[in-house]
Amino acid sequence: MQYFQFLIIIILSPLIQGTIKKLKANMQGRVGPGIFQPYYDLIRLLKKDMVISNVTSWIFKATPYIVFTSTVAASMIVPVITTESPFDVMGDVIALIYIFALGIFFMALASLDAATAFGGEGSSREMTVAILVEPMMMLSIFTAAISAGSTNISRIAGSGLIFSPSHVLALTAFLVAIIAETGRIPVDNPDTHLELTMIHEGMVLEYSGRYLALMEWAHYMKQMLLFTIAFDIFFPIGIANNVEISGLAMSSGIYILKMLFMAVLMALIESTRAKMRFFQLPSILGGAFVMALLSVLTYIMMGK
Amino acid sequence: MERVLNKAIKIKEHLNEQYLEVKKDDFKDACVYLYQQRHAILRLMFAADERQIDETFKIYAVFSIPGIDKFFIIVLSVRDNVFTFPSITKEIPAAHWYEREIRDMFGIIPEGHPDLRRLVFHDSFPENSYPLRKDWHISDTDLKEWGEGIKQKVPYKFMEVEGEGIYEIPVGPVHAGIIEPGYFRFSAVGETIFFLEPRLFYTHKGTEKHFEGMSFFDGVRLSERISGASSFSHSDAYCMAVERMAGLEITEKAKAVRTLLLEIERLYNHMGDIGNLCAGTGLQVGYAKGAIIKERIMQLNERLTASRYLRGVNVIGGVKEDVLLKADDILSTVDIVTKKYKELMNLLNGSISHIERLENIGVLSEDIALRLGATGVTARASGINDDIRKAHPHLLYDRLEFESHTMARGDVFARMMVRAEEAECSISIINALIENRYKGELTVEVKGIPPYSSAFGYTETPRGSVFYWVMSDKNGMPLRVKLRSPSYCNWPAVPFAVHGNFVPDFPLCNKSFELSYSGCDM
Repeated sequence: MQYFQFLIIIILSPLIQGTIKKLKANMQGRVGPGIFQPYYDLIRLLKKDMVISNVTSWIFKATPYIVFTSTVAASMIVPVITTESPFDVMGDVIALIYIFALGIFFMALASLDAATAFGGEGSSREMTVAILVEPMMMLSIFTAAISAGSTNISRIAGSGLIFSPSHVLALTAFLVAIIAETGRIPVDNPDTHLELTMIHEGMVLEYSGRYLALMEWAHYMKQMLLFTIAFDIFFPIGIANNVEISGLAMSSGIYILKMLFMAVLMALIESTRAKMRFFQLPSILGGAFVMALLSVLTYIMMGK
Repeated sequence: MERVLNKAIKIKEHLNEQYLEVKKDDFKDACVYLYQQRHAILRLMFAADERQIDETFKIYAVFSIPGIDKFFIIVLSVRDNVFTFPSITKEIPAAHWYEREIRDMFGIIPEGHPDLRRLVFHDSFPENSYPLRKDWHISDTDLKEWGEGIKQKVPYKFMEVEGEGIYEIPVGPVHAGIIEPGYFRFSAVGETIFFLEPRLFYTHKGTEKHFEGMSFFDGVRLSERISGASSFSHSDAYCMAVERMAGLEITEKAKAVRTLLLEIERLYNHMGDIGNLCAGTGLQVGYAKGAIIKERIMQLNERLTASRYLRGVNVIGGVKEDVLLKADDILSTVDIVTKKYKELMNLLNGSISHIERLENIGVLSEDIALRLGATGVTARASGINDDIRKAHPHLLYDRLEFESHTMARGDVFARMMVRAEEAECSISIINALIENRYKGELTVEVKGIPPYSSAFGYTETPRGSVFYWVMSDKNGMPLRVKLRSPSYCNWPAVPFAVHGNFVPDFPLCNKSFELSYSGCDM
């Protein structure tokens, strides 16, 4: 059973996306598509032919696979419903962040590869955001890592709930990082059709058919993974420490509740705020970075 | 300078239109005198092929002086063998598109115009083909050739900006959303827009030529379809032009109905536009609320006139529907709309993240707006107090009490707030109109169109002023129908407003102008 917990991420991530979309629609006074719509979209895209610009190189074609497989690899490391993970040895949070970075790196390359204006814009903007988000994510995880005495994510999750002021600071920073990494308002607008304002969408603009399906699916998975990591690190209550059926069932139930909570939170943030001006992003991301830094410092200095 | 106008011959005076014919050498001086000394606004400029009357083409430049309800029309005759006229663009920049259009359509060259590239026609339209000349016709072989693609294309040279770190971003003409086509070429330094050149007229449909092929009465239906969201304003201005030409005075009741529907049209447009701005900033709730209000009014439109866009109401000589009979429905809907509108404005003003996005971006200075002849909300948000309803009162506007709202800052926020204030003003006009009773039938009888006569029709659409100029031939059929939509005046202002802004802010700036492609391209 523990060998297959990463399948939960792969299979259920479109459902989370669908739920967020449905919640957002309802909050905005619309009916919205059903929560299973992302599955239909993926199936439709997988069946479709692809249109690929003839100026692209191998990078463009390899990127969807790299992005997809790296995200799958990341989900193998992360404990979803049990900390008894067979891939425990590799479960290092720093490795995890760089596996994500690998995907972003190739996506940025691929969007430059097609030599379109929007791809270049998307990749330069994504890189600007990534530079700010990455250290912030690292630092906020460090707080938890120091308190658990390990950078192994299963061990952090297994060490139980630790509550301290520095954890609150780190959690806030991590939430901002999630919003930025998943391309949500106020950092990016996932629902926009305006090419000139796009960040994440601008990068995948040239993709179609099967490749687009892989990119989108990887994006859904990454979103669910980030939610999962947030709970693993900052709120590991209810996650099973063994592989017994009763424990896993309980843990799965709690996990679903946690994911629902995140979906509601994301929908709420997206429905109540307008997107920020691009060059004001450093102010919110920089603020979050300072919070992450402070959390590490206070933890080291106060010892809790 | 004044003697230039004294030299002009008053060839016609009709209602508030004064036609002053000048010699070729005096044309520029006369226009520049009105513009510089009298601070007149160039309302429109056009040519007409009047060779069947006196063997000449005519150039008309229409001015109105603030505070005077009169149009001063400077007329220049262009003989058949010299296809040129002196350009006034260098002195009056607002003329730049009009003159290029005259060149495209009539082959009459504005001498001294700084930019003689094609405006309306794109590369594949053949050279030396001038569709608005009366002797122009298109043969089957021409059509076939066009279908296959003209061999000799007339290339369009975009302006190039050179320098370190400048790169070009081409956008369009096909966009990701379901919007009309337009091509934008940005020259940017990093994310800052240094220069923007829009290329429009992808949806040029030959509307003015099309008008010439149908009777004045059928033309109403065409005028309703020029710009969807201003259907009623367009048909109102068109009907007004034809009625003035035919010497008709419509009844008080018809005037009331038209005024009422014009204000309802303004209201639903402004509501939708304020909502659309929220889509630009990503504030989805605001967008949804704006769309709901707009939808309520459009459903009211359907109940009143059986058309969501208020089509089929205007006819030459009056209106078809007495919407005042349904006053209760209008009042109750307007009440609900008022309440919802207040909720929306509270939400927007309370949303700092939204307002922050609108402030100090897309600034159009008063000077540039004035020079380019911007109109409507665009002009008023830049501090120009120009509203056709006040400047040239028509229908019942001289009896109604209302303010035209201006704001000096010229940014996206100002354009939103001017819309909001105008919407409130429309609500009070609607309420005031419904209180009264009006005399008369719905329509007056049309006795016929006099030959070789002409007149203007105009109104204030939600986007700005619209002008129609109609002229009849000897059978009372259209000899020339000129229409000038507000978007045509405001499009050239966009590149100036976005200069120095960030590329990702462009869609928001553009939205705040709320321009129609179809209405501009005609």
